Amino acid sequence: MDSGLLTLVALLAPVAAFLVLAIVAPLRRAGRPGAYFSILGATVSLGAAVAAWRGYDGAITRMVWDWLPSEGRPLATIGVLADETSTVMLVLVALVAFLVQVYSLSYLSDEPPQGLGRYYTYQSLFAFSMMGLVLAPNLLQLFICWELVGLCSYLLIGYWYQKPEAARAAVKAFWTTKAGDVGLLIGIVMLWKLAGTFDLGELRAMATGNELPLAGLSIITFCIYLGAMGKSAQFPLHVWLPDAMEGPTPVSALIHAATMVTAGVYLLHRTSWLFALTPDVLLIIAWIGAFTALLAAVLACVQDDIKRVLAYSTVSQLGYMMAAIGAGFSTAGFFHLLTHGLFKALLFLGAGAVIHAVGSNDLSRMGGLARRMPQTAIVFIIGTLSLAGIPLFAGFLSKEEILGSVWAGGLVGPFLLLMLVAFLTAFYMFRVVFLAFFGTAPAAAGHHESAHHGAHEHDPPMPMLLPLWILALLSLAVGVYSTFIGPGLVALPEGAAEHTAPGWLTPAAVGVAIAGITLAWLTYQRRTINAASLASMFGPIRHAALAKFWIDDLFERVLAAGTLAFSSLVGWVDRYIVDGVLNVVSVWTVTTGDEMRTIQTGRAQDYVYGLAVGLLLLLVWARWSLT
Amino acid sequence: MPETIAFWSLAVVLVGSALAVVLSKNLFHSVLWLALALTGTAGVFLLLEAEFLAAVQLLLYAGGIVTIVVFAIVVTERLVGERITQTSRRITAGAVMALALIALVVNAISRQPLPTAREPLTTDLTRTIGESVLTRFVLPFELLGVLMLAAMLGAVYFARPED
Amino acid sequence: MGLQAYLILAAVVFGIGLFGVVTRRNTIGILLGIELMLNAVNINLVAFARFSGSEVGMVFTVFAICITVAEAAMGLAIVILLFRVRRTVMADHLDLLKG
Repeated sequence: MDSGLLTLVALLAPVAAFLVLAIVAPLRRAGRPGAYFSILGATVSLGAAVAAWRGYDGAITRMVWDWLPSEGRPLATIGVLADETSTVMLVLVALVAFLVQVYSLSYLSDEPPQGLGRYYTYQSLFAFSMMGLVLAPNLLQLFICWELVGLCSYLLIGYWYQKPEAARAAVKAFWTTKAGDVGLLIGIVMLWKLAGTFDLGELRAMATGNELPLAGLSIITFCIYLGAMGKSAQFPLHVWLPDAMEGPTPVSALIHAATMVTAGVYLLHRTSWLFALTPDVLLIIAWIGAFTALLAAVLACVQDDIKRVLAYSTVSQLGYMMAAIGAGFSTAGFFHLLTHGLFKALLFLGAGAVIHAVGSNDLSRMGGLARRMPQTAIVFIIGTLSLAGIPLFAGFLSKEEILGSVWAGGLVGPFLLLMLVAFLTAFYMFRVVFLAFFGTAPAAAGHHESAHHGAHEHDPPMPMLLPLWILALLSLAVGVYSTFIGPGLVALPEGAAEHTAPGWLTPAAVGVAIAGITLAWLTYQRRTINAASLASMFGPIRHAALAKFWIDDLFERVLAAGTLAFSSLVGWVDRYIVDGVLNVVSVWTVTTGDEMRTIQTGRAQDYVYGLAVGLLLLLVWARWSLT
Repeated sequence: MPETIAFWSLAVVLVGSALAVVLSKNLFHSVLWLALALTGTAGVFLLLEAEFLAAVQLLLYAGGIVTIVVFAIVVTERLVGERITQTSRRITAGAVMALALIALVVNAISRQPLPTAREPLTTDLTRTIGESVLTRFVLPFELLGVLMLAAMLGAVYFARPED
Repeated sequence: MGLQAYLILAAVVFGIGLFGVVTRRNTIGILLGIELMLNAVNINLVAFARFSGSEVGMVFTVFAICITVAEAAMGLAIVILLFRVRRTVMADHLDLLKG
């Protein structure tokens, strides 16, 4: 079968599972049978995706059906587009979706059956939406799947909707990404107005063939970037991602590590030929990316919640990818997307195992887990080393490529920021490792929960452990392959820029990472450096970081004030203008009526007088206008 | 020349008594001035060589109508004691309006080319009127009789004593 | 005197009669004003008839006088009835049609 057909199968399997689960309520409410059904769909999807990827022979395949008719050619089509980028991304999405669904069987085993069925329905829908986005042959289908993905994210973050924080976090995610989505829609429509088509292939041909007028193109690309800014949590629309950790950990692994948040990066990579025409927007993207990376890394250093650390880490890494795109080398960003998807999902799932064992997200409740959960510790450390960018692990080459491309793009400022971020990344991740897995367990101190939890602190059961090992081994494999052979995963699309990194880059990057690890080791493991005094060294920054730099508060105040002001304005208009007009009209009518009534005196004499006056006027008119 | 004098004096009498009718405070005096005005009109008819009409005017108007008005006044018993002003609030407005109307009509009349001399009468006017009434206008004449009857009946009915 | 003079005379009397109708408060006073107006009309008719050589106008006048008499009788009968019912002849007090 050719790649196009296989991708179609991969796309349709999860939506079939979703439809069945959505319609056949008994299957869904039964819980575990519904879960198995969904996992079956995910398996088919994964198989088809891998087959499509391996079977891809370089020929871009499109299978589209006409959707919105218009005169001449259809306004929009739906279907699949299989090329190098989409097939490999499809594999990532299908793989992580499959592993997460298997993992959730055990992680959510305490959930009531209806809840479990609901969860897997949403998971299938999400898988379909994300794949639809990845395989979209035109911007319209991409946007529709984009919105669907946002919807699923809302549904899944708010899975435990009875918790007020979870409900609020889901709404916050939805609205923040929606703000970006408005920009995306505007950009897409403006682009259609400029180019006359939504189709990616046609647009690409127009862009590379210099048929697109450049005037106003910057606004279009910036608007499209706004959509990516929302979904990929760039400053200032990053505020939703840490709060989204209220959802179940497998959801975080799937959506907020590997797939949904990467949709922005994917979009920019897909349309890189368009952005290449507007270098000023690319510069903005690079700077915002680098700044986001630094901001998130600083925030990650002060978090006590293990999932929050990982959330900020994701924001930071997304900033990395955006910086590479901004430098003009979107392939490097895409490569990091793929590796990051692997090891961040691994880290999240590992954190889930830890949370499941300890019963809490709080780092201060954890300690010395390596002894009791050895396998979890090993896979988690593999993930951490990948994130830190150590050779032989997955993140090494991709991070290098990003640093190299930022340097080659001539962006010195972002480059320095990113080096600092590499240092901080290694530092805060290993802080987590040392605090959670090494050291001593927290003092029981009469806490009645700790004895209860001691019984749980062991390696997780097979449905949770197997995905962990799969991801860890994949990370290692990719890492070894890329260290020695190169970025074989991602064949460079034709016309993409190539760069060679300066010789000092690799040692510098690795050195910076090792420095971070060392600092963490000294502070948290050997306790040579006192953590408190280290913290007080950065007193004001730390204080600001703990308040999330007041960005959330600012948003809230502005939105609340704005909405209140607007609604009081509308209320005033309604009361005084709309109602006012009506009231004035009615008052005038009544007053006029009262005054006119006095003419009707009831006396015949007055009526004769009126008659006479009328006659007089008539005569005057007859005399002067008819003569 | 004598015609002019006659006309002007009749005009003075007529207009003067008409004014007195509408301006007099005493109702009975108004009625008497009306009688004079009606007589003046009869004089005008004479000037216009319509003797029959002058006779009819005197008989019916000056005689008949004045009589019934006097009777009506007596019946309503507001004869004396009418020292209070009778005219109502609209004196100025009414005057202005009446003057305007007069002015307009006069203006319209003056602009028309109207004959200034009359042809001398060749026939006996009374005879002509009589013949017309009984030949050409016999139907209105008969209907007039019916009208008179109806009016008489109506007046009798309205003014019947209460019981 | 030409036709014009008689017409103007009639117009003046008509105006005076109209003034009387509009201003007088006593109902009978109003009726007197109406009589003046009708009178003026009669003068008009006769003058036109004389100066045009046709006797139709005069016949018309005869009829008009007769009808006026009938109308005066009716009007006064109504005034008497009104007086009986409402004990007043002041036109001011008859305002049942008041809006």
